[in-house]
Amino acid sequence: MEIDLTLDELDPAGAICEAHENVHRDSRATFLRKATVGGAALVGALSVVPAGGSQSANDVDILNYALTLEYLQASFYTEAKRVRALRGKAREAAEVVGAVERAHVQALRSALGSAAVARPTFNFAGVTKDQRQFLKTAVAFEDLAVGAYKAQAPRIRSKPILAVAVSIHSVEARHAAWMRRLFGIVPAASAFDDPVSKPEATRIVASTGFITSSGKTEREAEPRFTG
Amino acid sequence: MTARPRRGSLIASVVVALLLIVSALLVVRLAGSSAVSASEPDVALPAPASPAFAIPDPQALGDPRHVARWSTVTRAVPVRDAPRADANPIAFLDTRTPERTANVVLVEDRAADRAGRLWILVRVPALPENLTGWVPRAALGASEFVRTRLVVDLKGLDATLRSDGRPVFRAEIGIGKPAWPTPTGEFYVRSRIRSLSSFYGPLAFGTSARSAVLTDWPDGGFVGIHGTNAPDLLPGRVSHGCIRMRNVDILRLGRLMPVGTPVTIR
Repeated sequence: MEIDLTLDELDPAGAICEAHENVHRDSRATFLRKATVGGAALVGALSVVPAGGSQSANDVDILNYALTLEYLQASFYTEAKRVRALRGKAREAAEVVGAVERAHVQALRSALGSAAVARPTFNFAGVTKDQRQFLKTAVAFEDLAVGAYKAQAPRIRSKPILAVAVSIHSVEARHAAWMRRLFGIVPAASAFDDPVSKPEATRIVASTGFITSSGKTEREAEPRFTG
Repeated sequence: MTARPRRGSLIASVVVALLLIVSALLVVRLAGSSAVSASEPDVALPAPASPAFAIPDPQALGDPRHVARWSTVTRAVPVRDAPRADANPIAFLDTRTPERTANVVLVEDRAADRAGRLWILVRVPALPENLTGWVPRAALGASEFVRTRLVVDLKGLDATLRSDGRPVFRAEIGIGKPAWPTPTGEFYVRSRIRSLSSFYGPLAFGTSARSAVLTDWPDGGFVGIHGTNAPDLLPGRVSHGCIRMRNVDILRLGRLMPVGTPVTIR
């Protein structure tokens, strides 16, 4: 069985959760607004300046783009572990892969320093609470990461940064194979993988509604508590 | 008649032996030439590039016993006493707090109804104290996690913040006078207000706790954790139910305690 999985095919609504129904029922204007929020988080990664002299602006942009994708993955697996809805091999895989994705985040943030983009707010809308939906989403995320790294690698100017990117890329490919196996589809069905361009990755992630704007929980005011 | 086959066999044996010798010589020559090639520096492949930075070891999550989850309310919704749409409403959740920040709830549990829709058990910022109820997952936003917990000791007149179970902050406090007692139970921090009033000090945290006696207080009598312009009164039973700290303490707490932190008042 081979399924051409992309994130925009996900339908976490169904029997799982109403939240995604809302995403799919949104008016076009609302959808585009949400897509813009998600897209802005990714596009934001393209507007930073180099942190120091050792990294070119081009490579900083690519690292920030990678960081945003790693935020997405790390948050996904972290939530899956914390809501404790997975079982068996899926739970084990989520734990191992999540720990690795968090390491990727830590490494990229450290490398970028003050130039690192902030973590967006993610609303996985119940997908982490259902084993089947979790695995389907994990396959899509890992395939996306593999394709995105593949697309950016030839654009990286610094060989040492390319060395890091390639080392992450192969790990993401292992994750993709692992999740595909658990989901019940062929881990490596193609002789050659296609890269996923940044606009395409942005479109795919934005279409899920997983990247959301967070409501403000802080403001300046005269408090009116009981005192 | 018998001599011809013997001679033929002998010739064949000699030919086979010669072929084996030639083959062996060829193998030895080829092996020798490749060994020489591999050792020649001008045809060796370059060493791998050193990575620009190291990827650390996989990052395990902390002890889940110390993790609490909260979400913003993205859709005004009734809170029900069971995880189904026809259950009794027991409270109402708005998307905004009285302080006009995003309303948040502490997540306690989850369940699916018969249709498979996901429901979340949340701690409700309403009276009576310690009220919990069910809302559709669709009414909530992103899941956020904290690893902190504030414990307010009304007898000891102090507050302790724990992070991953370890105390990281402690301060003397002022609490409600006997006529306006500070409510006890399980609550959470739901807003952070940079105060414009010296009475509340420089910073105030809004909590889900409400005074059971000051219900006509502006905005409903929610209990805050804040600074003060009368530090000499601390520690003591001096407030209308709020938890007061010296300004230096509330500012320190402000660096350590995120919104969503569970608050135990006992």
